[in-house]
Amino acid sequence: MKKNKHYFGKFFMILSLIFFYLPIVFVVLFSFNSSKSLTAFKGFSLKWYEKIFTSSNMMEALTTTVLVAIVATFVSTIVGTLAAVGLSKSKKIVRDLVLYINDFPIMNPEIVTAIGLMLFFVTLGIERGLGTMMLAHIAFCIPYVILSIMPKIRSLDPNLADAAMDLGASPWQALTKVIVPEIAPGIFSGALIAFTMSFDDFVISYFVTGRGVKNLSIMIYTMSKRVNPTINAVSSLIVAVITAGLIIVNIMPIVKEKSEAKRRKKAEEAGLDPDNIEPDNDGMKKLMAAAIIAVVGVIAIIFHGNGKGEFEGQVLHIYMPGEYLGETTISDFENATGAKVVVDEFDSNEQMYIKVANGDKYDLLIPSDYMVERLMQEERLQPLDQSKLKCWDDILTDCTNLAYDPGNVYSVPYMWGTVGICYDKTKVPIEDLEKDGFGIFNDPKYKNQLYLYDSERDEFMVALKYLGYSMNTDDPEELKEAYEWLLEVAENMGAEIVTDEIIDNMAQGRLPLGLMYSGDATYVLAENEDMGYFMPESGTNIWVDAMVIPENAENTELAYEFINYISSYDAAYGISEYVGYTSPNEEVFDEMSSEGGLFYGLDSYVPRSGNPKDEVFHYNEETRKIISEYWSKVKIAASNAK
Amino acid sequence: MKRFSQLAMPYIVWCVVLLLLPMLLIAFYSVTDDGNGIVSFSLTLRHFTKFFTDPDFLLILWRSLKIAFKTTVICVVLAYPVAYFISSNDDKTRNMLILIITLPTWINMLVRTYAWVGLLSNDGLISRIFSALGIGGGELLYTEGAVLLGMVYNLIPFMILQINTSLCKMDKSLLEAASDLGANGFQTFWRVTFPLSLPGVISGISLVFLPAVSSFFIPKLLGGGKYFLIGNVIENQFITVGEWNFGSAISIIMAAVMMLSMYLVRKIEKVNAQGDRD
Repeated sequence: MKKNKHYFGKFFMILSLIFFYLPIVFVVLFSFNSSKSLTAFKGFSLKWYEKIFTSSNMMEALTTTVLVAIVATFVSTIVGTLAAVGLSKSKKIVRDLVLYINDFPIMNPEIVTAIGLMLFFVTLGIERGLGTMMLAHIAFCIPYVILSIMPKIRSLDPNLADAAMDLGASPWQALTKVIVPEIAPGIFSGALIAFTMSFDDFVISYFVTGRGVKNLSIMIYTMSKRVNPTINAVSSLIVAVITAGLIIVNIMPIVKEKSEAKRRKKAEEAGLDPDNIEPDNDGMKKLMAAAIIAVVGVIAIIFHGNGKGEFEGQVLHIYMPGEYLGETTISDFENATGAKVVVDEFDSNEQMYIKVANGDKYDLLIPSDYMVERLMQEERLQPLDQSKLKCWDDILTDCTNLAYDPGNVYSVPYMWGTVGICYDKTKVPIEDLEKDGFGIFNDPKYKNQLYLYDSERDEFMVALKYLGYSMNTDDPEELKEAYEWLLEVAENMGAEIVTDEIIDNMAQGRLPLGLMYSGDATYVLAENEDMGYFMPESGTNIWVDAMVIPENAENTELAYEFINYISSYDAAYGISEYVGYTSPNEEVFDEMSSEGGLFYGLDSYVPRSGNPKDEVFHYNEETRKIISEYWSKVKIAASNAK
Repeated sequence: MKRFSQLAMPYIVWCVVLLLLPMLLIAFYSVTDDGNGIVSFSLTLRHFTKFFTDPDFLLILWRSLKIAFKTTVICVVLAYPVAYFISSNDDKTRNMLILIITLPTWINMLVRTYAWVGLLSNDGLISRIFSALGIGGGELLYTEGAVLLGMVYNLIPFMILQINTSLCKMDKSLLEAASDLGANGFQTFWRVTFPLSLPGVISGISLVFLPAVSSFFIPKLLGGGKYFLIGNVIENQFITVGEWNFGSAISIIMAAVMMLSMYLVRKIEKVNAQGDRD
């Protein structure tokens, strides 16, 4: 009986170990995969690691993570220790109250702590960035330090400090020579918890961070939309650091014991009293020194200049959509100018707006047409100094002087295109598309077969166009009708509402239908020849993403330099080639789309002209509010439909 | 004596400014209107009314509680045998096993959750094993099951630890007494061991249930934008919609619901304990 039970237990134990470690082994294994696939191992390669170490963004995230973790651990351990000692001698009511508040970050859901701190920083007008991230990390680390020290203090003789002072120790000596050594194990484990909590934190960092400051978790989160083995490499590094840390911590006492025994033995051999010899701290000191040198070294590598150039030592902060640059776009610019470029990425124009409106300062933004108009109306942009722009001769007239910014006073086109339906030609007959147009998203035949794109504007465009209205309508009735149509889709069609995940998923042919930006479709079509791109006759959205300089930009000269650079042939070609979006640079556009060009024959690369029903978005605050409210309800309805 | 108590002063100030004040700010935002500032505002309860009068929001809250409940039940059922096995070993093995179990929890949740994306995807390891065994078929990733799996995976170690601790604390002579008095193995477990380990189960529940209710990146990564939970609604309000007041109100509601459910769990435990004594 007993034996049987044991086997059962062992079996369960082994199963759970497989369960716990399988994903981790998997992550580490695929970080060495030579192909991009996350499911098939094609061969050994270190290229994803190389990518980390050659990408300045990654290295910076790594430094930020380590730096914040070290500072947070250091400060929270000291403050936490002092507070714990102090509280133990405080009046009971004070102690209980403080310990109660101290429990907030431990008991509260992380997201609540996170938004609390974010509201705090924003309300007080503190600029979010590295400083706020450190403050936040210290704030949630101290409670854990206190929590792990308190039990040790409770088990201490309350008269210990008095005894020390009676014997002539100063309070400081009593603290550092008597109390602290007694509670050292608690302090140590508190520091360890603080370090790993800080090193691993995502939720709180995500909400309190500001311009240009990202830790590894935030990097992983923003990259996780596309298949990207670099994430595996970063994750493996995190696994390695944490495992190494834990092993050191767990093995250290054993090693220490051994060396202690050795020392005693030696002392005895030399005929000395082993208790009277100062313990040997050299090893520890060396280790500390090595750690400090390593950190300083990494920081120095990160912050060293990028060679000589006109803008050496200057920094350009850009806020733009994710996955929207060529492979070497940024590094080429950095090499040419000597400046450093820090790119932050957003998922949606709305997300960008919230950050900018709450005080994050960027030198250059790349919003879409209607958002350019909104920023203009709210006077958040500066008119461009046309004498500094050398790009207008190279840019297609199709995407200049459009209604959102007549005369291009504020904006220079970055990319342009349409919105359409990406479909699997082997599964969706073109006749269905021609018959239904955007209505195909509500065709029961394709239930559970489609993606919607998580963009309120574009989804309302689909609905309004399908219903035969203008996508710029401000008629509440028409908007309501569109909303009801989308609600019907959400409730009946089992659609997945996604953002950039759609790209790799459609390239792999996971589902046969999806609403997509033409540029993403070009990438998908080039990857998978079964895929097609369709624009309904009822009209679609012609959009332009454009570069603008915010009113509070700090380095406008560099921003102009960047705009000119992006508009040049080389840079424009590099981006268009890599991301598949249509370049506004005339030469690049012609080359890519003409015979022999990279995207020759792909319907999605050449935006449609001549359909009078195609429109460009306008900004209207009232309709935005209505649409935004409606769209969040559609999304909720879609998820409730399951 | 007095001098030492002054050591806590800086932290008391810190507590008030960085821990208490942010919570008060959430409460303040939740009952005010217009703008994200404290200079001009008007009091209102409309954010709460909006939440409670919209069946969609209530449904999401309900679904979040449901999935957290499922996660908790699965965690208890799976964690118990593992914890029981660990506690039945001698000290040295036990510490080793605990180290092995806790090691992955030190690695951040995002990384561990992302790991499942590759494993669960269409031609990934798990679905290959499934189809080789001739079961399943159909999608694994981007389903409710995937979200549930992600939650259990991330949270079950806490449950194991808590149950294990309470099992280890148990006075082993009670088991001998039970069997001396004629209880069989099952009776001993059900009437002695299990009730005595309940405090561990309860604290395990709070460590699993609460994070499961509020999680937002697990449903996002493994649910593929199909499984909106209350955490996602809050994130959405703050990051893309920009209705911070409404977002704060939802956070307050969520926190209140969590506190209430934990209160109920504790209450039930107390009633049970008293029932046993009677």
